[in-house]
Amino acid sequence: MPKTLAVDPEKTMQRGEVAFARVPVHAYDTPFADERRAYGDEGLRAALRHMIVIREFETMLGTFKATGAYEGIAYTYKGPAHLSLGQEGAAVGAALALEPDDHIFGSHRSHGEFLAKGLSAIDKMDASRLETIMDEHKGGALKRLVSEHVGGTGKTLAENFLLFGLLAEIFMRESGFNGGMGGSMHAFFPPFGTYPNNAIVGASAGIATGAALRKKLAGNGGICVANAGDGSTGCGPVWEAMNFAAMAQYDTLWDDAVKGGLPVLFFFNNNFYAMGGQTSGETMGWERLSRIGAAVNPASMHAETVDGSNPLAVADAVHRKRALLLEGKGPALLDVECYRISGHSTTDANVYRTRQELKAWERFDPISRFGTQLVEAGVLGQDDVEQMREEVRRAITAVTRAVVDPEIAPVIDIPADPTAIGKLMFSNTEIDLPEGQAPLLKQPEESAPIRQIARKARTGKGEDGEALSPMRAVTVRDGLFESVLAHMTCDERLVAYGEECREWGGAFGVYRGLSDIMPYHRLFNSPISEAAIVATAVGYALEGGRALVELMYGDFIGRAGDEIFNQMAKWQSMSAGELQVPVVLRCSVGSKYGAQHSQDWSALISHMPGLKVLYPATPYDAKGLMASALASNDPVVMFESQRLYDTVEQFRTDGVPEDYYRIPMGEPDIKRQGKDVTVLTIGPALYTAIKAADTLEETANLSCEVIDVRSLVPFNYEKVLESVKKTGHLLIVTEASERGSFAMTLSANVARFAFADLKAAPRVLGSPNWIVPGAEMEQTYFPQPADIIDIVTGEFYPERRSNRLGIRNWDDIELSKLGI
Amino acid sequence: MSTPILVPQLGNEITEAEVTEWLKSPGDAIEQGELIAVITTTKMSMEIEAPASGTLGAIVVPEGELAEVGATLATIE
Repeated sequence: MPKTLAVDPEKTMQRGEVAFARVPVHAYDTPFADERRAYGDEGLRAALRHMIVIREFETMLGTFKATGAYEGIAYTYKGPAHLSLGQEGAAVGAALALEPDDHIFGSHRSHGEFLAKGLSAIDKMDASRLETIMDEHKGGALKRLVSEHVGGTGKTLAENFLLFGLLAEIFMRESGFNGGMGGSMHAFFPPFGTYPNNAIVGASAGIATGAALRKKLAGNGGICVANAGDGSTGCGPVWEAMNFAAMAQYDTLWDDAVKGGLPVLFFFNNNFYAMGGQTSGETMGWERLSRIGAAVNPASMHAETVDGSNPLAVADAVHRKRALLLEGKGPALLDVECYRISGHSTTDANVYRTRQELKAWERFDPISRFGTQLVEAGVLGQDDVEQMREEVRRAITAVTRAVVDPEIAPVIDIPADPTAIGKLMFSNTEIDLPEGQAPLLKQPEESAPIRQIARKARTGKGEDGEALSPMRAVTVRDGLFESVLAHMTCDERLVAYGEECREWGGAFGVYRGLSDIMPYHRLFNSPISEAAIVATAVGYALEGGRALVELMYGDFIGRAGDEIFNQMAKWQSMSAGELQVPVVLRCSVGSKYGAQHSQDWSALISHMPGLKVLYPATPYDAKGLMASALASNDPVVMFESQRLYDTVEQFRTDGVPEDYYRIPMGEPDIKRQGKDVTVLTIGPALYTAIKAADTLEETANLSCEVIDVRSLVPFNYEKVLESVKKTGHLLIVTEASERGSFAMTLSANVARFAFADLKAAPRVLGSPNWIVPGAEMEQTYFPQPADIIDIVTGEFYPERRSNRLGIRNWDDIELSKLGI
Repeated sequence: MSTPILVPQLGNEITEAEVTEWLKSPGDAIEQGELIAVITTTKMSMEIEAPASGTLGAIVVPEGELAEVGATLATIE
């Protein structure tokens, strides 16, 4: 909604028609002689050899799966083998045109993509760079292993290093490129420009798009490639990513230095089948995959259909698209037709296609086709091809023999260190606040909304002890903002975006004033694409940036489910710590808007290993925890209650410090001291508990110790256990519906950890297991002070029992029978 | 005739706003509908349009000060 772009009715209402940029189909017609001159015979032979390496490598995997042996080496491989036999021309063709610093993000059928890019990088890098890369990877441990057990020098050693690191990863060995934490569908090695491959169909689209954003802003050159299959064109997040990469604002609003579309190539390995569903003709409506480019932007994403059985045709297309991307004309799309002659997996019985169809495609086998072409042109003799195959087989056999040997390449010894994988979940590191200032449009003090905060009182109480209004005292919203401002103004790597994040300042005004000072590329409005918001943030972070993104309501987490649960949460651990994901995802928790806009889903996020989860409830905590989240190198999900944005500081008499500070994640905080009952609260339940505690003090002479969890993951139980030791009673209050809530986890654990200290079972008071009703009925849904009082006096201290005050007079066992 | 410029009703829960910027000065000629001030609540900033044409009179609430919903910010003479 920038005011510089007017929506002109005179223009938009004019009669006309929508024109589409034409989409070429198999237009490649470069004479072979020209290609031969360009690549040289050596280059052409290398391309053939790279395809043979991929074919042999995957044949080895398939043979292990089918027979338990390869070249006389017995091994039972239990993991997946999604092979790409027949598709080698696409992978090798793309890699021919890519430079080492171009980064590819893989599909789930990615061995070929990984090998092709790695082999191409090895070809294109000089010897000293290769040596440095091998020496620096795990302190040279893999290089030494390969030298000793496989051998080779120079580029041959580097190729063996590549094959060993990949196969060891597929067989989940500690010496695998990703410490054995990734496996077949996730192997990657950034120094050669290969970034995470993905078992989730189409997931690399958004991640590569975010990485391309980082590449563009960092100005370090190169492009990103999102490898995906034809089946992924049925996935919403792929469309979201393509649109995100094509947003008009890169041209219309961004500064000249960063103008232009994102340098990302959507490379669809179109093997005609999405597992068993036939995309063209059955499950999709596009007829030709490349058509979808026309739906995304006026340039039709420069889409083309190219012949994936010819690596030179693919290289030609990738080369041209790469040049466009570097000119700022991205994104681009290639529909690379490359028939898969192997099954989807080793259990594929080809029930969805005929023998005749398979037969018809034999002519398009990229290896025999390209090999024949080279032999006919005299680039090499038929014997040379056979010799090439034999040498490749020997190399792969040598690597395989070493990798399957548990003495040479063991899996991680988990029994020796049972929490070894757990230790990989987080880096638990944080950055210092960078010194200096990033370029700004103007200084913060020149922005009226930012100045407004500076004039406010730092505590919520006036000089006479009166409560100050949110216009006069610093609020939770302001606390969050102050830390965001501190990081945004000094850390140029950090970008913030989400729906309405710029002029509006976020739907709830947390960034109000930030658009006055931040250039567009640091703070921008995203489309309503929750999946792309999170996926691009992950990609931006994997590429070396830091991202602060927002889902307007936590209720939209479902729209970004895979991106939060499988991407943001997993790349730190699935890379065995090689990659970090410094992303902060803000999710507001609503109220008043009913069932789809008022849910506390913190338990859902906390359930997923790999995410830190915060839920501050006071201005002081909001500021300190937001600073820690932004400084963290681990992914953090920050829940923020909309009801609390206007809440002023009521607990700290010295208020919210003006200076920057951090509150360590994982430490609950005692907000009120007491001795009779411990009330542990999550989010806004803090204030409900404080009200109840006041009443209990006055009417029942019971003192409550109120502890705010502040952080769900990590969580230090010690303070709670100390409190329970004193009180013997624990009530946990949450606004989330009770079943499966984080409060239930806390309750079960405290019951175990402090059984001897408890005088009664811990009690959870949450919202009931039905929909959140609208504003008029909310008080019947979210826990109220009366409900707390009923539990404390009715269950913990029955001798102080008074008449029931709240409405929760129901039988949980009976309700459970009804599923509520 | 003088027309007051009032702090508008900005939602059920908003009771006051800050004048963040006066875009006109006393004595300036004003057209009805022209933007004359920016006010800010806890959550948003909004522009105030002149309710009538005339000349901007005395400013009652200067920049940086708070005013309750319904209060007079200035008058148009």
